Amino acid sequence: MNAPRRLAPIAIGAAALLALAGCSGGNSANTDDSSESGGSLVIDTAFSIETTDPGHTYDPTGNMVAKALYETLVDFEGSDVTTPVPGLASWEQNDDATEFTFTLEDGRTFSDGSEITADDVVFSLQRIQGMAEAKPNFLLAGLTVEKVDESTVSITSETPLLQLPAILANPALGIVNADVVQENGGSTDGSDSAQSFLDGESAGSGPFVLDTLDLTSQVVLTKNPEYSGDEEPAYDRVVIRNVTESATQLINLQGGDTMVAMDLNGDQVEGLADGFTVESVPSGQTIFLLLNQSADVAGDLANVDISEAIRYGLDYDALLELAGAGSTQATGVIPTGFEGALDEGVTQDLDRAKEALAASGYNGETLRLQFPNDYPVGGVEFTPLAERIQAQLAEIGLTVELAPAPFATELDAYVGGTEAFGLWFWGPDYADSANFLPFGPGLKVGLRAGWDASANPEIADLAAAAASATDVDARTEDFTAFAEAMQEQGPFVPLIVPGRNIATTDAVTGAVYNSVWDVDIAEIAPAG
Amino acid sequence: MSAERRGDALAAAGWRTRMRWPRAWRSPLGIVGSVIALAWVIVAFTASWWVPFEPNAQVLPRLQEPGIDTLLGTDGTGRDIFSRLMTGATVTIPLALMLVVAAMVIGTVVGAVAGYFGRWVDETLMRLTDLVMAFPTVILAMVIAASLGPSLFNAVIAAIVVSWPQYARVTRSLVLGLRGQNYVIAGRLLGHSPLRSLTVDILPNIIGPVLVLATLDIGAAILLLSGLSFLGLGAQPPTAEWGSMISSAIQNFDAWWLGVFPGLAILTVVAAFNFLGDALRDVLDPTAEVSKENQADRAASATGTPA
Repeated sequence: MNAPRRLAPIAIGAAALLALAGCSGGNSANTDDSSESGGSLVIDTAFSIETTDPGHTYDPTGNMVAKALYETLVDFEGSDVTTPVPGLASWEQNDDATEFTFTLEDGRTFSDGSEITADDVVFSLQRIQGMAEAKPNFLLAGLTVEKVDESTVSITSETPLLQLPAILANPALGIVNADVVQENGGSTDGSDSAQSFLDGESAGSGPFVLDTLDLTSQVVLTKNPEYSGDEEPAYDRVVIRNVTESATQLINLQGGDTMVAMDLNGDQVEGLADGFTVESVPSGQTIFLLLNQSADVAGDLANVDISEAIRYGLDYDALLELAGAGSTQATGVIPTGFEGALDEGVTQDLDRAKEALAASGYNGETLRLQFPNDYPVGGVEFTPLAERIQAQLAEIGLTVELAPAPFATELDAYVGGTEAFGLWFWGPDYADSANFLPFGPGLKVGLRAGWDASANPEIADLAAAAASATDVDARTEDFTAFAEAMQEQGPFVPLIVPGRNIATTDAVTGAVYNSVWDVDIAEIAPAG
Repeated sequence: MSAERRGDALAAAGWRTRMRWPRAWRSPLGIVGSVIALAWVIVAFTASWWVPFEPNAQVLPRLQEPGIDTLLGTDGTGRDIFSRLMTGATVTIPLALMLVVAAMVIGTVVGAVAGYFGRWVDETLMRLTDLVMAFPTVILAMVIAASLGPSLFNAVIAAIVVSWPQYARVTRSLVLGLRGQNYVIAGRLLGHSPLRSLTVDILPNIIGPVLVLATLDIGAAILLLSGLSFLGLGAQPPTAEWGSMISSAIQNFDAWWLGVFPGLAILTVVAAFNFLGDALRDVLDPTAEVSKENQADRAASATGTPA
């Protein structure tokens, strides 16, 4: 008889706990009434940003911010990255695809009100060319930028460069205000020191200006009052917050703390109830394994047989299971949807894997798999993926030890080419398959795997042929040949093209994924 | 019951303590703590033989709820949580015991030497101890683990470095009190070396409090190790360890069973060792035992005439 009475306080306590848990979304950020114009937009993403100086940025978050702060000569509409459209300028090219003439749009101004001239364009691009250590520097390698008149600029290349307009749409090549940047240390001769200035304020013509930058917690943008383009922003203030855990992004989104969550994984978006919009598309990014070909780093295992062993030793369907909505198997270094991509990916072949492993001279050593553990790509966490790779490789007799590290720590080892065995990702910088040529020997990503041009001259030649084609059809064939050769003899094992799930509350629209700059913040507007 | 106890009290005191558990062991918390701690220790040394699945085998469907096939559900890569939880005990508990013993030995030696020799030896060692104690424990452990490189072994080293000073402090104060005792002085006059004096005359008198401290510290050591693993500085994937299991549970926040069970494991084992330490303190503290006996006797006699 007494039992119900004793249960009552417990039930009340449990109810109170549940109620508290329900409140724990928090409301620390300013979410305002988003149905009115103005107000604040809050975006959660896992930061990958080193600076807001477009001349130095080269990371996904960095590109997204640069896209909001600066404008480029060429633009894309929405998520369509196959057709470049005029941005700050319209252009014409010659038949050899070596000379491009850009004509600036009239009446466009920087955030301080001054007009954008050919001098600004020439300075911006030459500044990056001058900074040999700047990450986007390679985008402009071999190009000559010249002023023709006050509103015309010509860009010439020694070799045919069909992809030039697509390259120029990269936010890293945003046009800066030459006068302001020069006053603050900017120069084109390589002695440029304007980065610290550009980390404090912006000097561009984009729809937003930089308010504050904190590389570890948040970037705050405010509306550019002098903006003269056609992408008038709907929000006065944008807060981009560093939320490294996708689970936290989900809680923030559900709790109304944020309006856009960039990195939810497949499991999480499936659980979202009504009131949220999810867009799942395959991203342009590829998650791959890298096997170093430099004897200094990988020792006796510096050969491509070991990568073949791993390529055929993996069960890709089981890996895809971890990646969730929107993701597909990577059929090669060129992801599906890009020119020259292979139709079929590798399927598991344990006999072939064991043969290749024997040929590689593998002798029971433990391979150390290095990967970033705090940076989900398209919602794919690297730690479970690495654990599954480890378990699968154990079946062909390859012992793997996992060595996770924070992104910021591990990036240096990856970029510096000191990883013997790594799990990384590659995202396109401009929407063209030429973007994946850096996997070739002696090129950017190839060198990170210690693979220099002399290691495989045939693939190096294929890459060079694809890069210098002037005819679109011939170029596609070159890309296909390159992708096939990489799957045969390359030091990379492409794994997954993760789906990109951008989840928003129903109160906002226009958050469209673009493989170059993630999301164009200016296109996000209140719904209705 | 009171008559029985009264009868016991009337019996020879020495006989009773030999035949029965000391009163402190019979306290409910002492019993609960001992049983749980013993159960975990047994699990820790036998789990690898009887868990239903290999802890790293990804053979089950992903994210299954707790049920009949998988007692505590499966995690995001299809591993059995129950097997991982039990295997986690084989990782954490022996290491925690080992690190407490190591910290106890180091701290006791430092404290005994400082207390016995005094003067500049005391000053030097104790200022060093203060130096380590001045840092917040977890932060210092993080710094050490991060600089040595993340691994379970380095986490243990880091934990030893931050836990020895409390033993040094306690031991020194005990030795300071004991070295002026007549029997210690007499031993010195008989020509005992400092080593013999410390081990024969002093050690038996300080071992009790130090053991109590060590038992209470096991819980803290398990928390510290799990905490470092949670932060990614201890056990590396795919090792089944409670802290790293909780850490990876964050990736699948909706699957409550991923984090709750490792959390409960930590809770029970830490609480158990704390109860055990409390009971041990009561047992090994003769004054506490005597005063409790007196109290009980007085209550039992119910004469209401305290001395």
